[in-house]
Amino acid sequence: MAGDTTPHAPTRSLEPAPLADAPAPGAGGGNGDAPGTTSGRARATRSADVVQTRASLIALAVLVVVFAAISPQFRTVGNLQQIIDAAAVLAVLATGITFVLLLGAIDLSLPGVIGACAMTVSLLVANSRNTQDLGLLGIGLTILLGAGFGLLSGVLSTRLRIPTFMTTLGMSAIGLGIATILFAGVRPVVLDEGLGAWAAHRIGGFTVMSLLAVAAVALGWAIQRWTRIGRYAAAIGGAEDIVLLSGVPVARYKTLAFGVAGAFYGLGAVMLTARLGSGVVEAGAGTDFAAITAAVIGGTLLSGGRGGVLQSMIGVLALTVLANGLILTGVSPYVQQAVQGVIVVLAVAVATWPVRRRLGVVK
Amino acid sequence: MAARMNRTRGTALIGSVVVALALSACGGESSAEAEGEGSGSTGNCAPEDITLVGQVRNQTNPYEAAWLAGGDAFAESVGLEQQKLTYDGDSQQQQEQIRQVLASGDASCTVINALPNGDSDTTPIVNAADSADAWLVTQWNKPADLDPTEYERWIAHLTYDGVESGYQIAKALFEEMGGSGGVIALQGILDTAAAQDRFLGLQKALEEYPDIELLDDQTADFDRATALEVTRTLLTQHGDKVGGVWAANDDMALGAVQALEAAGVDGVAVAGIDAVPEALEAIADGSMTATVSSDGPWQGAVGLAMGYCAATGELDVASIDADDRAFFAEQFLITEDNVQEFSDPQLDMSEFDCDSLFSRATGPIAAS
Repeated sequence: MAGDTTPHAPTRSLEPAPLADAPAPGAGGGNGDAPGTTSGRARATRSADVVQTRASLIALAVLVVVFAAISPQFRTVGNLQQIIDAAAVLAVLATGITFVLLLGAIDLSLPGVIGACAMTVSLLVANSRNTQDLGLLGIGLTILLGAGFGLLSGVLSTRLRIPTFMTTLGMSAIGLGIATILFAGVRPVVLDEGLGAWAAHRIGGFTVMSLLAVAAVALGWAIQRWTRIGRYAAAIGGAEDIVLLSGVPVARYKTLAFGVAGAFYGLGAVMLTARLGSGVVEAGAGTDFAAITAAVIGGTLLSGGRGGVLQSMIGVLALTVLANGLILTGVSPYVQQAVQGVIVVLAVAVATWPVRRRLGVVK
Repeated sequence: MAARMNRTRGTALIGSVVVALALSACGGESSAEAEGEGSGSTGNCAPEDITLVGQVRNQTNPYEAAWLAGGDAFAESVGLEQQKLTYDGDSQQQQEQIRQVLASGDASCTVINALPNGDSDTTPIVNAADSADAWLVTQWNKPADLDPTEYERWIAHLTYDGVESGYQIAKALFEEMGGSGGVIALQGILDTAAAQDRFLGLQKALEEYPDIELLDDQTADFDRATALEVTRTLLTQHGDKVGGVWAANDDMALGAVQALEAAGVDGVAVAGIDAVPEALEAIADGSMTATVSSDGPWQGAVGLAMGYCAATGELDVASIDADDRAFFAEQFLITEDNVQEFSDPQLDMSEFDCDSLFSRATGPIAAS
């Protein structure tokens, strides 16, 4: 690990001060059109990201190698498909939350947004509760609803200047409230065959949902890489004051980043509903922390400005491999949770080790 | 038996004396209590003055929604309205709601039918209700050493024998499998009594069926999505050897059904507990084998009925058999054969007549 950092030492020494790249706009591969970027800083930030991504990959690789060595079932093609399928929903959610984390903000709205979207989609497609049968249109509307929740979180945070921790927590409660009203005591069972096929139909051994997730992650990466929403998100997370001074409408781009995140949560909720076969209010319980953990293991840091969609995917795979591997290697269910916690902390430590000096203040 | 009755009466008597002393010490601050409504093991509230309160964790699952619906149905049958409280699984919030209910209106004519969040939450609820002279019925959770017979107005605590539930569905599952093969078990949250008892029931059934092998047991936290993932992973591990899935609740069973469908596996029997509507549909269409019903609507109604009868004076709490003050209630195994009877549950209002409230008691909660 030490060998990884040494080659970059000269790059770091170019920095005016040891902590100078903590507020580094243009992270995530910026190459000049993000405001406030100097080429030296961009290079330093990029190399730090590369180093950290490498560390995260090593953490994932260690998990895979260890489990594969212990469990013959782990190293089967069937299990690979199972891991990809299992990772699909978390991958889409983590893609969404990455935009918020890049801002240096936090998003705890997932349980509520997913609950409301899960109930909505299950009531809009053919179901056991009402006569709606909107099919794809229903799915589209649900994703829009998710985006709406995100935009609202963003507007409340930026315009009313409420910390995102509070607005998104409140948004979660609102979402769960709406979901509970829609639930009305009877779970709507999804009868729509198209949506059901997401979980059941396989193409080349992978479920439709897995392939959709890959497409969604690619779209998320493209948004982060090539649109202003993504590029400004990273810049704002790196140094909001500088970006603001450069004349960028920060509040607008923050809100839009939340909106993009919300759309991904909406899609995640549709996928969860397809998988569970009915609208479940608590479908999103715990997904907020799972998505945040995945992002952080991958190297998308809570301090903002660093990481990105692809990095977060490393964390998604690490978490999924961990849950899968602990069962297949026969770890007792009574100690699994504790083991999982220890390994997650270790993985984050490994992932952030090479850049720990550059992180500056950790809160 | 007789000794127990005497002790109950004796306790009640001592209780009344203590309350009376306390009241005289207070100098009759409360007019309601001065009129004589406020204490003792029988009430004399006018039916229209009674407040009925049903409290559960949340309304986001079919079981608790059905519980509250049952409470509504009973309240309507006596011309009242049920005040519905949900506390989101938050113990603090539950206590706060109880305090508010007791502080507003005439506590001595208030009936609370509560689902305490956990064992330890029952003690403060009982104490708060007792000191306000409200009528209380608790369900599912209570510490073993807390005994309703030591209280005048904590009418009863009822719960279900988890060992029995786990055992019944295991037997139905094994029979469906023809008495041999491999099963996987999906446990609930491991540190809950419900999960532990139900799993004991499975183990009891396994002893009776030597040709059934427990391939693996994993926890899926009573959660459907978790159960889906765990089942899929276990299918990877054990493949064709899996002939049955035993789940400690229906949500996990339905997650397992979903996992089996996604994996394209046919002919695996699945059993759960709770009798949620979706599980009943699954049993009707053959994708699930069995579930056990505690009859949520009955639970929601019977607690209010007990309190109503006590508050109006038709039921003298002190005269209830001590075995019925903390009892296991009857549960029903649902399979393909009888699922139709349960798919549209109708409350039989005659079960809530003041003299048949304890007809579903199957025995006292064993002191463990």
